[in-house]
Amino acid sequence: MIEVIGLTRRFGRSAAVDDLSFTVNPGKITGFLGPNGAGKTTTLRIILGLDRPTTGRATVNGVPYRTLDRPLTHVGALLDASAVQGGRRADQHLQWLARTNGISFRGINGLLETVGLGDAGRRRVGGLSLGMKQRLGVAAALLGDPEVLLLDEPLNGLDPEGIRWMRGLLKSLAAEGRTVLVSSHLMHEMAVTADHLIVIGRGRLLADTEITQFVRPGMSLEDTFMRVIEESAP
Amino acid sequence: MNTVAAEWIKLRTLRSTWWVLGVGVLTALGLTALGASTVISRWDPGRTGEQAAMGIVVAVHVGVVLAQLPLGMLGTMSISGEYTSGMIHTTFVATPSRSRVLLAKASVLGGLAVAASLLIAIPGYLYGLTVASAFDPTLPPVEAWTVIGGGMLGIVTTTMLGLALGATFRNGVVATSVLVVVMVLVPFAGRMLPGGEVVNSILPGYPALQLVEQMPDIMPDAAAFAVLGFWAVVPLLVAILADQRVA
Repeated sequence: MIEVIGLTRRFGRSAAVDDLSFTVNPGKITGFLGPNGAGKTTTLRIILGLDRPTTGRATVNGVPYRTLDRPLTHVGALLDASAVQGGRRADQHLQWLARTNGISFRGINGLLETVGLGDAGRRRVGGLSLGMKQRLGVAAALLGDPEVLLLDEPLNGLDPEGIRWMRGLLKSLAAEGRTVLVSSHLMHEMAVTADHLIVIGRGRLLADTEITQFVRPGMSLEDTFMRVIEESAP
Repeated sequence: MNTVAAEWIKLRTLRSTWWVLGVGVLTALGLTALGASTVISRWDPGRTGEQAAMGIVVAVHVGVVLAQLPLGMLGTMSISGEYTSGMIHTTFVATPSRSRVLLAKASVLGGLAVAASLLIAIPGYLYGLTVASAFDPTLPPVEAWTVIGGGMLGIVTTTMLGLALGATFRNGVVATSVLVVVMVLVPFAGRMLPGGEVVNSILPGYPALQLVEQMPDIMPDAAAFAVLGFWAVVPLLVAILADQRVA
């Protein structure tokens, strides 16, 4: 479970996140939506302890991320899949990451198979396509078998087969009772993947509801989203 | 220990690490071998076995000091590369304590710097013994420990300074430039400028050269060790404290 409570993050005078509160529950896929600059990535960074809030707090399973022991065994995160050093092999990337949290290397080959990189494990990361890096990032997030997953734009660079694979993976992770928070700009994909939606704009909460209740009658998710964003503009 | 082991995996799985170490160690060994042969061929035939042994130790540790810049740059790259690629976020998500990450990098790099100094000193010393065999070198005298310690601390200090600069500037080019200015340019210019002695006695470049007997003594050896120790520890602590403040 992820809890964000009264979270505000100011950069200078402007607030990237403005008194934001929401809870992400286990057992379903929660879509995290908002236009560019809405504060999604800032919120995810604060949840992961990469940035400190100006006020408010964020907790994972009831405690701040930075106080978790062996955090990768509680939370798996995919932030920017292309943010990896290219000189290492894919399996070596997972090895150092596993070692930081005392996770055994034994699962790595299986994990590479799971994300469809079985043949690419011994290739250098720099030579992988964005879609393959995205799969490697998912493998990194799953490394510690965490109960909570935070995925920022996991569909970037994936081909149609990859998108279908990701949809199935997210659904199975949620069905296993995990907490799954996914940010995306792809409304058509969110419409068929997410169970619950958290929509933010200008750092503020615009909606926190089941997707079936969010989408207005006779409109698509995309149309509803655009309408909600417009209505929130000053 | 997990963090140290992980940082070791990170460092050893990049080819650039081995290139830098290879270039640093082989260049130092090659220059030491050339230099030692030249110096030894000019020795006064009346030199005692103990003086010969000391001469070899000195020649070899000039090589160790020569290898300090590549090692310093390795220190810089070990963290600036993560900032440039953005992978540092993955590092901090896995290990939220930034000081732990930096200290783990320092441990691994310090070990590599000591290993590099031994990889230069031991083969260099054995080579020197064969070249200088006519002088019947004894075991090195006690003063040799100053040279050995000075050379080793010199290379470790430069490596730590490189890491600290990389962590502070987060950009490899900037950090490496500062490293070269501090280690090479200022000490070089300082020899020709008024007041240069004062500058040189507080920067880390000169003390190492003094300890391996390549520069005239401008401070007691103990002070030279203290200055090197300061530069090994303080910039790293500053980098750690600055990081605590930001995040």
